[in-house]
Amino acid sequence: MTQTQTGEALAAEGTPVIELRHVDKHFGSLHVLKDINLKVGKGEVVVVIGPSGSGKSTLCRTINRLETIDSGEVLIEGKPLPQEGKELASTRAEIGMVFQSFNLFAHRSIIDNVTMGPVEVLGVSRDKAREEGMELLRRVGVAEQAEKMPAQLSGGQQQRVAIARSLAMHPKAMLFDEPTSALDPEMINEVLDVMVELARGGMTMVVVTHEMGFARRVSDRVVFMADGAIIEEGKPDEFFEHPTTERAREFLDSIKGH
Amino acid sequence: MSATNSTSMRDALYEAPGPHTRRRIRFWTAISLVLVAAGIGLIVRRFYVTGQLAPRYWELFARPTTWIFLGKGFLGTIEVSLMAGLIAIVLGFLLMLGRMSSSRVLSGICRVIINFFRGVPSLLLIYFFFLVVPTYGVKMSSFWMITLPVGLAASGVLAEVFRGGMNAVPKGQSEAAYSLGMRKMKVTMKIVFPQAVRYVIPSLISQLVVVVKDTTVAYVVSFPDMLQNARVLITNYDALVSVYFVVAILYILVNYAINHLAVSLARRSGTSIISRTSENPV
Ligand SMILES: Nc1ncnc2c1ncn2[C@@H]1O[C@H](COP(=O)(O)OP(=O)(O)OP(=O)(O)O)[C@@H](O)[C@H]1O
Ligand SMILES: [Mg+2]
Repeated sequence: MTQTQTGEALAAEGTPVIELRHVDKHFGSLHVLKDINLKVGKGEVVVVIGPSGSGKSTLCRTINRLETIDSGEVLIEGKPLPQEGKELASTRAEIGMVFQSFNLFAHRSIIDNVTMGPVEVLGVSRDKAREEGMELLRRVGVAEQAEKMPAQLSGGQQQRVAIARSLAMHPKAMLFDEPTSALDPEMINEVLDVMVELARGGMTMVVVTHEMGFARRVSDRVVFMADGAIIEEGKPDEFFEHPTTERAREFLDSIKGH
Repeated sequence: MSATNSTSMRDALYEAPGPHTRRRIRFWTAISLVLVAAGIGLIVRRFYVTGQLAPRYWELFARPTTWIFLGKGFLGTIEVSLMAGLIAIVLGFLLMLGRMSSSRVLSGICRVIINFFRGVPSLLLIYFFFLVVPTYGVKMSSFWMITLPVGLAASGVLAEVFRGGMNAVPKGQSEAAYSLGMRKMKVTMKIVFPQAVRYVIPSLISQLVVVVKDTTVAYVVSFPDMLQNARVLITNYDALVSVYFVVAILYILVNYAINHLAVSLARRSGTSIISRTSENPV
């Protein structure tokens, strides 16, 4: 029993859900990603931190090809990320993404936002999508707002809807690009709570965030980026207590400072 | 077009005004009403002085035949405008899709077509359909000789209007749709275009008004539109100013109706709800 479980766990570890190999990217003459290597195993939660402009968002966005790469490889469950067409679309459908600015579809109601993916992309029936959508909205605590428009919700509520919208696709992994940094302080926790619950439920997650509390509570690994490169990686407690590089130390001092 | 109907337009597209703004609006409304009244008074006086108010110029409007004849022309104008407007919107939309396609060739071709239709005066296009096309043995009714060129000319402008609207939709909207696994066509049709509509309504209205005005050259192909029939009346009754006056009012009514229609369509598509608050605090 225990043996098969460890066997499975090892097999799962064998093929990471997300893997970046020697990924390089430029914006014009700006080298934004420098030889990035990263593996995210099944159920793993990886937090990416680093100073502004270090390439965190770009890294996150290359994983579902919202940004293309110059060289290297992005692998999803061991398979190269398709470059275009139906294949790319269906791989994207398997990876959820939550944006800093929520990006709820402004012309559709909350429930429509959550059901559109399943209905339009997966071909789920409207009724079934709606039923499941309401369940998800309940789970993130905004079921009463289902018929409202996105602009009528608070930032925290919108972000929770955005998470529900991603979950409706039953993703294999989720990417979060600073999901709480556009929020008023009193709304940050309601979003983090949903993310903690997801992480505990075994979701594979890449989270760009400066929320150290979140990183310590649920992340398996912290990745520190500066100037387009991964400078340091480690278990959250070790990283936050004893960063080994000067850059990381400076950065941690600067965010603890205020 | 006038001060009064811009109220509904404002409600659909902008925020509700505060008390201070409302007071200012009331002030300027009063001022403009006074100016308009003064203007009308001046015109009537001028008419009186020059003898244009004489019964012989106006009694033709007491005859039903006059109104039936004008009414036929009115219907002609409506038909031509609707068809030309439809051609302009549909073709403008397709040209915009082509222009925004990721295929360089298609995009290039559409850009050339758009610039051609935008750049060439519609009267020249009308002459083309009237004088050149028939020499190739293509038989066309006068209806199509006016609707096609007017519609084509407007389609070039509308393609660019639509494209501007598409580009005004925040990028995050399409990125969110792509990340759900939608393909480009779906993203365009379900996410971006429905939101672009709210940005294009003012320009769409002005362009449809241009379409209605462009149809007034229907006399070139001798299609019986309102202006063409008005000319006939003028010759028959020797009543230039009075007929033009009535016809001008009818044209204004048509354009007023377009304005109203566009605003109510916009409201039905939920644009007022989105515009109430800015959607993405970044
Ligand atoms: N579309 C773009 N075109 C050109 N340069 C870009 C583009 N997007 C990002 N950059 C640049 O690439 C660098 C990395 O940007 P990125 O957004 O990945 O940084 P980040 O670590 O997420 O920063 P932040 O904490 O401010 O979000 C920055 O210098 C940025 O100005
Ligand atoms: Mg960023």
